[in-house]
Amino acid sequence: MSITTMWKNSSEGSDRLEYLQNLVTEFQDTDNEEAKEQVLANLANFAYDPKNMEYLRELQVLDLFLDMLTEENENFVEFGIGGLCNLSVDPECRDTILHNSGISLVTNCLSSQREETVLSAITTLMNLTTPLSRAEITDPAILQCMLRFSLSESPRLRNLAGVFLQDCCAKEQVAQTEQEMHGQQTAVGIPLAEGEISATLSPSVHSLHCG
Amino acid sequence: MALPSNNKMSCWAAPGVYKHHEQRKVCISRPKYRDGRKDKAVKVYTINLESRYVMVQGVPAIGVMTELVQLCALYGVVEEYRPLDEYPAEEFTEVYLIKFQKLTSARAAKRNMDEKSFYGGVLHMCYVPEYESVEDTRLKLLDRRRYIMRAAQNKARERKTKEDGEEKPTTSNTDRQSNMTLSQSHEMPRNDNNTGGNSNFNYYSDFTLLPLPPQEQHYHMGQQGTELREDKMGTLHNAVSNTNQQSEYNSVSQTSSENIQKNRQQRPTQNQTPMVRFVPRTTQLEKRKHRKEEAAGQTLTDLSEVNETLIGPKLPEPPKIDMEDESMNTTVCLIRNTMKRVSSYQIFLWQFRATLSHQVSSVSINTDSFLLGWISS
Repeated sequence: MSITTMWKNSSEGSDRLEYLQNLVTEFQDTDNEEAKEQVLANLANFAYDPKNMEYLRELQVLDLFLDMLTEENENFVEFGIGGLCNLSVDPECRDTILHNSGISLVTNCLSSQREETVLSAITTLMNLTTPLSRAEITDPAILQCMLRFSLSESPRLRNLAGVFLQDCCAKEQVAQTEQEMHGQQTAVGIPLAEGEISATLSPSVHSLHCG
Repeated sequence: MALPSNNKMSCWAAPGVYKHHEQRKVCISRPKYRDGRKDKAVKVYTINLESRYVMVQGVPAIGVMTELVQLCALYGVVEEYRPLDEYPAEEFTEVYLIKFQKLTSARAAKRNMDEKSFYGGVLHMCYVPEYESVEDTRLKLLDRRRYIMRAAQNKARERKTKEDGEEKPTTSNTDRQSNMTLSQSHEMPRNDNNTGGNSNFNYYSDFTLLPLPPQEQHYHMGQQGTELREDKMGTLHNAVSNTNQQSEYNSVSQTSSENIQKNRQQRPTQNQTPMVRFVPRTTQLEKRKHRKEEAAGQTLTDLSEVNETLIGPKLPEPPKIDMEDESMNTTVCLIRNTMKRVSSYQIFLWQFRATLSHQVSSVSINTDSFLLGWISS
């Protein structure tokens, strides 16, 4: 590699961090909600590239995303959980999320009115599954929720819930939860109301508490 | 937002109009420092939104399905395609479903064909993950996980190599770093035990061994490296292009994109097709054009014989549009023939540009090697 190439790369690396830092600073300093949404979306999209993950960890953007999950603004929640979905594939990011009680925060997003938020939450939970966290992630309440999702009108929701139940849970666990839910399932054939999935959930799932 | 009337969404079921199909309004209120070259909507892309299935709207209803599929095939193997007659479409336009073999191909096609002119119409491309099966979804997530794990392992390996290398500091390295005007603003935690110069040394080392971008990028080398930058995740990242923030880095260093191209070509591929695989496709398209000119009566159905990369059913003959008037029919035929000639020239130009970029990059690599040898001598 030439010297100029090395120089360009190192300059690019520091510029990249500086740029991300500017985004985070703007998010923290501005009161404009629209600007916050734009910056949050930027950060969440940057989180998709593994090259940025280290910098985002350093800038504590993970904490920022986790904080967004309890916001009133649904865009904040959707972009925040999207960013976590993108970052949580990285093992170090995953561990950071787990250490910050991420499972309970992400689980709450399963009750969101927005499909994208729910989809990101399911994927994030799958990414957060480790031998240590599996017990918490496959809590019966979450399994019931996933079973309902697997009967949803939305194909994406059905597929993701199906992958969750097949890959993250033991068959016996799923069978047992199904038996407990027998007779309570009301999701079959109920169409989604204007894209909102919560209509298919029973009140017990709406008040889902975990952790 | 309309919803599908039937429960099961398969490739052949009636399509539903979902929110993610809609084209959102672009954001016009971004501050200059984070305003990209192209205005984009405020949207977050995750792996859930992306898919090998892509829907193409706005295709002019003049019987150009074949041309559309050929255009898509430039970005990767097309496994299936069909018109979505039931999907709401604008007047005089059609909607098509395209299933690519790889997600990388779908990304490349979406990024390069979205909002582009096509036979007088403007295409709108969007992912349609609702057409996936459970297995498709699982494989998609698995591929993403594998890619990230690979990137993390590469980085860890690089870190370890650098730490081992830094135990024996050399004068030449110090001289090189003193000549670089490196920014000292960033402090990397793992370099606490190293000198300030060496800490910056790790930056470019971290970038050198990133995996090569997917092969589709090589068609777009002439575009200032923006697409290459987006492709560095092993797939073309539409999310980055959505905000187009990478253009900021282009403005910071004009030639960095070219150097990044060189770097990428030097890095080993892991799960990507080698560069050389581009050549057969280009050659075949050129050969096909050549044969077309030689045999005037050759129809498009013969393409399946020469275009070996196109998987799927044999292309049907182009539908004959009957305008129920002889003069109108003649006019339609004239228009179609003209557009075919224009598109074939277009395809030839794209291929020529791709080939030229490839050659330029090869020359750059050789130049770099020469310079390195000269400097170290």
